[in-house]
Amino acid sequence: MAKFCLKDSDKYYLSLSDQPKRFDADSPVTNVFFDDTNGEVFTVRSGGVTGVTVNGMDESKSTSFRMEDKGPIISIKFSPDHKILAIQRNIEGQNATVEFVNFKDLVPTNVEYSHTCKWKNSKILGFVWPRVNEIAFITDHGVELLQVWPEKKLLKTMKATSFSGAWFSWCSQSNIILLAGNNGALLQPFSLNNSTINKLQKLEVEWSRPIVERDVFVLRLCGAPWCALFRHAHASTTGGPTEVWLIPISGGGATQHVLKTGLVGRFAVSVIDQLLVIHHQSSQTSQIFDIMEESKPENNIVIHIPVVQGISMKPAIVDDQPCPMCNWVVFQPDYIIDARLGCLWRVNLILSGLAHSVPKDEISKIVAVLLRRKDGKDTIYRILNQLVSEAGTYLVELTKAFDEINSVYRKWADLEVARNTAGQAGLSRAPVHFPVLVSQADVCAHVLQAHADDERLVQVVTAYLASLSRHDMVVQHPVAELCVRTLVTRGAGGRLRSLVRRGCLGDARPLACQLLSLGHIDPAAAQIALDMMWRLKAYGEVVEVLLSWNEPISAVGVAKQTGGIWLNIPPRKLLSAAKHYAEDKNEPTAFMAVYHALVARNERLRGSPNFLKGDQCDVYVEYYKQLTSES
Amino acid sequence: MIDIKNKINSFFIFNSNFGPKEGEELKRILFFHPNQVTPDAQKMQVGLCEAVVKFMTTFSSQPCEALQTQTKRYIFYQPEKSYWMVLVVRIPYATKSVTTGGETKDVIEPSVMYDLLVSAYKIFRMFIGPFKNIPNEEIYSKCEQFFTPYIMSRNIANNISNIIQGINYLPLEKNSFFKVMCFIDLLEINYPEFKCISFVYNDQLIWNGLATNDMLTLYQYLVQTLLPKQVEKEIQGGAVTAAQRHGRFISPSDGIRTAEDLQKLHKVYLMREDDTETKQYYLVIYRTLSATICFTVDVNTNLNIDNFRALDAFIGPQLSTIASSISEQCTLHALQNAQLANSEHKFIYFNRLNLAYKTSTPVSSLTPSTAIKPEVLSIIAGIHSDRKSLGNYGEVIIKTPDEYWIAGKSSNDREFYVIIQDKNANLKDIADEVKRMCEDQMKGIFFYPM
Repeated sequence: MAKFCLKDSDKYYLSLSDQPKRFDADSPVTNVFFDDTNGEVFTVRSGGVTGVTVNGMDESKSTSFRMEDKGPIISIKFSPDHKILAIQRNIEGQNATVEFVNFKDLVPTNVEYSHTCKWKNSKILGFVWPRVNEIAFITDHGVELLQVWPEKKLLKTMKATSFSGAWFSWCSQSNIILLAGNNGALLQPFSLNNSTINKLQKLEVEWSRPIVERDVFVLRLCGAPWCALFRHAHASTTGGPTEVWLIPISGGGATQHVLKTGLVGRFAVSVIDQLLVIHHQSSQTSQIFDIMEESKPENNIVIHIPVVQGISMKPAIVDDQPCPMCNWVVFQPDYIIDARLGCLWRVNLILSGLAHSVPKDEISKIVAVLLRRKDGKDTIYRILNQLVSEAGTYLVELTKAFDEINSVYRKWADLEVARNTAGQAGLSRAPVHFPVLVSQADVCAHVLQAHADDERLVQVVTAYLASLSRHDMVVQHPVAELCVRTLVTRGAGGRLRSLVRRGCLGDARPLACQLLSLGHIDPAAAQIALDMMWRLKAYGEVVEVLLSWNEPISAVGVAKQTGGIWLNIPPRKLLSAAKHYAEDKNEPTAFMAVYHALVARNERLRGSPNFLKGDQCDVYVEYYKQLTSES
Repeated sequence: MIDIKNKINSFFIFNSNFGPKEGEELKRILFFHPNQVTPDAQKMQVGLCEAVVKFMTTFSSQPCEALQTQTKRYIFYQPEKSYWMVLVVRIPYATKSVTTGGETKDVIEPSVMYDLLVSAYKIFRMFIGPFKNIPNEEIYSKCEQFFTPYIMSRNIANNISNIIQGINYLPLEKNSFFKVMCFIDLLEINYPEFKCISFVYNDQLIWNGLATNDMLTLYQYLVQTLLPKQVEKEIQGGAVTAAQRHGRFISPSDGIRTAEDLQKLHKVYLMREDDTETKQYYLVIYRTLSATICFTVDVNTNLNIDNFRALDAFIGPQLSTIASSISEQCTLHALQNAQLANSEHKFIYFNRLNLAYKTSTPVSSLTPSTAIKPEVLSIIAGIHSDRKSLGNYGEVIIKTPDEYWIAGKSSNDREFYVIIQDKNANLKDIADEVKRMCEDQMKGIFFYPM
């Protein structure tokens, strides 16, 4: 099947950030640590004696300092405000202790202290900083949440929960710890939010084998915490390629997602812009999954396949050399580290790459995926523009793409309305994420307007209007205007009139005026324009139109129907039109009729039949006298 | 010719330039119906008309329109210079015609006769072309071939569907209309040789791609000639066969199955909406369920049976989906109307610009309505054909001796007629009733206020 290829797009849809953060490569005297909460690399040379360098994506938080070598370091992390450094060392008999150093302006002060966790004989598996001045020790006996008082050099236990865990996984975006108990047969999440520990519902995984640490990732996707579990062939009863099970944490009966990778081997996970990226080690390809895609859950499980076919990341260049991928280590949510080269990257999504090679019938799916991405708009415009240019081939796909855009817009608009009408009650509900909204004005300005000379613009505009109509959206002026212009210049006036007659464009004053202006080439357009003005109750305009059409009597008729206009209309205007008509058609009675109507109006208005001096009607009074004297 | 009162007495076409010399009179007669009339009698009739037409030129630069004798009414129509078409109907003759005035009302309205001539000519021109382009030696046979069946199939009567030549548009909700439009667009994009010029559902028009006047001609051909035959065939065929469900080409009448069938395609002269002049096209007509679509194909195209087969495969399923969704909507619409339109008064609406035509009694060529008395229709026909009587903007209320009120309204190139049967009403009641009906029936349409 012919594939759609977005012009000027690259085949890669994932790349590494342009300039990696460089740090001293891993070596016998240098140890490298990564803190995924702050996204910082610690390079510790000779145990800190010859220097510790902290490098992160945020340049202002990078620093270097020296410290004493008190033993091999297991873990080293700054608090979120970079005022406390916590270090866990591997020292015999001190398994349950963490050291602290207070920092000021990223420089160590000599205030140092340490704290041993409440289970003296336990082994600290790791520690995390859920928020400023709060630290949690995760031990094989349980989790202890402590408050740090740096000035007083002490820590105070806020909450502790016993749980016998073997290893844990941490998601800093959600502050959720997943502890594996019973050798990986039991997965127990804890939430560290609100300065307390909440034991969440344990994850029900009834797999034949216990789960190992490298197959578990806690991640935040679409505003909710998830546990991603890799289910390899040997763990499943059916065999076959690896699947990723996304199980909602604390989600009650929420839907689970199953991602079909179609591959076997070792994997890593990144989350970029609400997409789950699965990196496959041996093929060095990365697949992306969008769990927000339209789907029908079966048994509360939704099955997904990759949005596009898996492909490797865009090769990175380090020191003018292509960088091999085999040494990369992936961290949450989107970090990649090559410790041997000393590089820290973030993974970027290249949205245009998603549209590089798309089967024809999946174009609308890609548009739907892009509508859920932060910066999807430009790529959507590019796709639409190309579809419009090649509408001869892609009219159906274009129609579907319009439907995707409008259905998202519709949902957003409905929610806005609900929010505005429901007031406070509506606000409390979780906000739904609409990263890209393509309005009618956007489609006009960024897509349709550029195609004034395209062969199929009439069909494209019709398809767009049809899509708007299917989504029950009112056609806004920019679209209506463009539609009129397009149809008229392409000799499709009949189509335009049919659309207006059948209510496809909706009544609006600007549209009525535009149609009216076509009256000289197309009387039928003027006819429906006048109908539209009438329906819009634009009586003042109707009067003007009828006067300009040399129909003074009807103009008076319309004016009289609406008291406001009739009482305020300058009589001179009517009389002049009536005189012109009377002379033109040789029907003096027409003038007399208008004259009499106005005199009656004067009488009612002011109790006197005479015109005001300001009305400047003397000429017409004379004309009336002349007419009546003749007859 | 059983119903002498209503049927055509004779119909002929002549051109005096064809046999200018004496003794060549028969040559001047291009066509004469009925053909069993003796040549001498033909010559007499034509000769009379020639003379009258010639004679009238002394008085007016306008061509002669009609001649009425005690027993016959002649209507003349000169579509091209020197070509005259004449329609003759017999007037029921009674010596006491003055006292029994009611009976003579049954005579066909002149405007209806004239319209018949005009549409006969237009359909002729659509299929054969203008008279002047036909070589002299062929014109007799061409006329014979075309007009004999045409006249035989025509039932001329004062009928609500005859007094105004208009197009019945199908009211359709916008999403269904978009379905039709998008289907046509897609079809034209995939098969660029084919241009959709009309989409008709039952006998109601949904989409037109022709210049307005040609549309009326094609519409009349479809609704009055082609489709009634087709419907008859379908009814005779009993249950709708699978082939009909999926649609088929109905012109040529045996369908298009082989390459030879392509030779039978009709050629027509039409002006499409985007054309600047009339051109010759092949006319292809396709029908599924109750939906009929017409295409034009440029005559210079090399017809390829594979294209037609592909088109068939493309249209068939899609059109039947659209047709059934339209049918659902029509049923719904009919139900709503049944509740709503219980007005005892009849109306006729006509828009001169798009030829839209609507009446309170649903018109269908298959079930002619006899609900309106002929004299009433004749009055409406009179107002309609005499544009000056109402002008651009006007209203007239007429009371017939037998308790009928007829109101005619004209405004913004539209006409609206109301027929009210009420002995005791006064003028104001009628005017109010007309206003009310106008507002009820013609929602959203602007009539200049009185």
